[in-house]
Amino acid sequence: MSPDPLEPLDPTIGRRRFLQVGAGALLCTIGGERVSLGRKGDAVKADAAAARVKRPKALKPADPVDALTFGTPQPQPGGRAVEYWVQATTTRWPIVPTHRDGWHGVPVRGRTTFTATVYQLMEPGFAAPAGPAAIPGPTLHAEVGDTLVVHFRNALRDLGQAATMHPHGVKYTPDYDGVYLGDLTRAGGFIAPGEEFTYTWECVPESVGVWPYHDHGPNHTLNTFRGMFGSVVVRPKGDRGPDVEQVLFLHQLQPPVTGLDRSFQCINGRAYAGNTPTIRAKPGQDVALHVIGMDNNFHDFHIHGHRWRDPSGTFTDTPGVGPGETITVRFVEDNPGRWLYHCHVFSHLDGGMAGWYLVE
Amino acid sequence: MSSHRRSPVVALGFAVAALAAAGPAQAVNYPPPSKPGTGKGKPKGPHRTLRVCKHGHRCFPRIQDAINEARAGDRIKVAHGLWREGVSISGSGKRYIKLVGDPKHPDKVVLEGKGQKKANGVLINGADHVTVNGFTARHYRANGFFVTNTTGYRFTNLKAFLAGVYGVYAFNTRGGSITNSEAAWNSDSGFYIGQTPPQVKPIRSMVRNITSYGNVLGWSGTNMRYVTITKSKFYNNGAGIVPNALDSEKYPPAEDNVITGNEVFWNNFNYYDGAPFKAKPGGTRVGDVPFPIGVGILLFGGRGNTVTDNDVYGNWLVGIGALQALTLKDATARDLEGNQVTGNRLGLDGTDLNGRDLFYDGNGKDNCFGPNTGVQVVFPESGATMVPCPFTGANAFDQQALATAVDWTVGDATHEAHYIRHDHVSKPGITPLEHYTGGVK
Repeated sequence: MSPDPLEPLDPTIGRRRFLQVGAGALLCTIGGERVSLGRKGDAVKADAAAARVKRPKALKPADPVDALTFGTPQPQPGGRAVEYWVQATTTRWPIVPTHRDGWHGVPVRGRTTFTATVYQLMEPGFAAPAGPAAIPGPTLHAEVGDTLVVHFRNALRDLGQAATMHPHGVKYTPDYDGVYLGDLTRAGGFIAPGEEFTYTWECVPESVGVWPYHDHGPNHTLNTFRGMFGSVVVRPKGDRGPDVEQVLFLHQLQPPVTGLDRSFQCINGRAYAGNTPTIRAKPGQDVALHVIGMDNNFHDFHIHGHRWRDPSGTFTDTPGVGPGETITVRFVEDNPGRWLYHCHVFSHLDGGMAGWYLVE
Repeated sequence: MSSHRRSPVVALGFAVAALAAAGPAQAVNYPPPSKPGTGKGKPKGPHRTLRVCKHGHRCFPRIQDAINEARAGDRIKVAHGLWREGVSISGSGKRYIKLVGDPKHPDKVVLEGKGQKKANGVLINGADHVTVNGFTARHYRANGFFVTNTTGYRFTNLKAFLAGVYGVYAFNTRGGSITNSEAAWNSDSGFYIGQTPPQVKPIRSMVRNITSYGNVLGWSGTNMRYVTITKSKFYNNGAGIVPNALDSEKYPPAEDNVITGNEVFWNNFNYYDGAPFKAKPGGTRVGDVPFPIGVGILLFGGRGNTVTDNDVYGNWLVGIGALQALTLKDATARDLEGNQVTGNRLGLDGTDLNGRDLFYDGNGKDNCFGPNTGVQVVFPESGATMVPCPFTGANAFDQQALATAVDWTVGDATHEAHYIRHDHVSKPGITPLEHYTGGVK
């Protein structure tokens, strides 16, 4: 999705509000069809286009690499096959459930609930929900040497479109890439409504870290923009992890995607402190915050009252994070009190991309 | 393997082989298998509601008359009463039909098979996504409710009693659901999903809130795939739930099924000693070799099956067991692979014990048992075949354990000599059934 030069501004949005929220027309390519998302509710056009995308025919190699065949990875000796059951579904999602901006102590007026597409953790066999239908989707945990075995079901029956799970960081063969490639699509790149597919991803030593996964089917941009993302956490074998850990996705929810009257600058699908995650820690605890950019923007992640080393060893308190990128903020807590964390792009933090960090 | 051991092993194979498959071939001629799904989509409508009643105006007098008239997607509403016919819904022109009796009171809309030429209460063949909701079927020569060669079906609020073979049966289907239904006193199994075509991107079949009792088997699943059975009760059958692998149907073995959150208890019904149905040789034995009874859940072969979070108690031979599918011609499909039996609760907190909680012959690879809770007795006694989950690698096969288990089945004319009996808890409205004493019609 990219800005549509033919439709630079949604005329239904005033210029002041436009500047405040950063809304603009976007252009998607869905199964080869170009769809402009410029106005409130344009997601319907994209969904209709996605529903028209036909199941790819049997793959005809365009290059010798397309004729390669691959097995299913097995865990390394001593490793485990870590199974998850995850479905793609829709849910009515309140962006500001308290209807208040807790930072400024003022109400947030107007409609804030829209239909999100999300990943939901399920019990084995999809027998029942094992977690909420929420933004973000479930966090998938594994260790080096394990395989992540993810049974994915596309339950987007109402939308009638294919969906996938595409992970970052872990190792996979093209069959388990989870990407739609038109006529060159492999097995995991087009899961039609009602169907299941089992992805198997390897957790190699280079996979250590926190990574996003997201939809990469025919309608990947719209679906990702409206909530189809989550995280993969891979640790070294036997590593118990930090004392406090939180994954924070920074992203926007805009009118063309939500059908709402205004944009929201979000963390994990929520906007404004008191709605975004409130993180708690105690002095002396090992704290890790994994911040992932999940929209078209670059963000700067800032926590008041704290500082830490970046990968180069330099102290920082406002590192940048781009689309699909993860940065990890890690420090030993040493400063009690109520603190804000937020994106330091001012139009983002003023639009809701902020939250509380409370140290006892 | 010595010869004196080989024969009982093979005999057990035949015994279990007969669990699910021998009955139907002898009972009726079924439609030939074809590729499920017509490729035709959901009909656009507008759809009509056709009514069936015996004495009203604008009603069809027979259910079949309404079905013959119906177009794809139409709804057929059947009035209370006793309907002496066997209903057939066949071909893509009848896809998405909804056949509705009384969902809240299935007992009031009864399909009666006694004296009928039609062998099935409802037969769906090649009509995708048909719903059957709110009926009782009884006394049919073959099956109460039967769907075959389709993609998708919905069986809900059904009761199936005293069928010659299966109560509720789906064969050679992709996807579908069976919910809120009850099957009892059927001379093979109460419920059965079989011969699921292998699929790279499978459509799961969901089974929820069913009750199966008084049957030879509560659930049979020959070569079934991608089935989830949950929140259901299986009790007072000869055996409770038996996913299995046989040559009698295509695509062995049973794969990728999940049995979770069920209550499987008191499956000690010795139908050899009397039953309200005729215990047919094809349904209960092969030659002189009988099926085992007293079993809660048994995996006879299979790959990637998960048995988790079930309450299994008061089954006096074995609570949960697993053994190789010995009789398969296709040797590559005989072995148990990647099956998990974990997170189950055995013996109802010590108040209603199984004879043996777990049995596993150690065949195959990547199979794991546990942790489960309440486990007091396992076989083999050493527990050496049962490694905790998750597990990757070859399992430890125990020939002697298998031979002993075989002897339980083939060396016992009473069928009960190897039961280890314990007292049952009392359950309101349910009486333990070991020997049938009459009363069911």
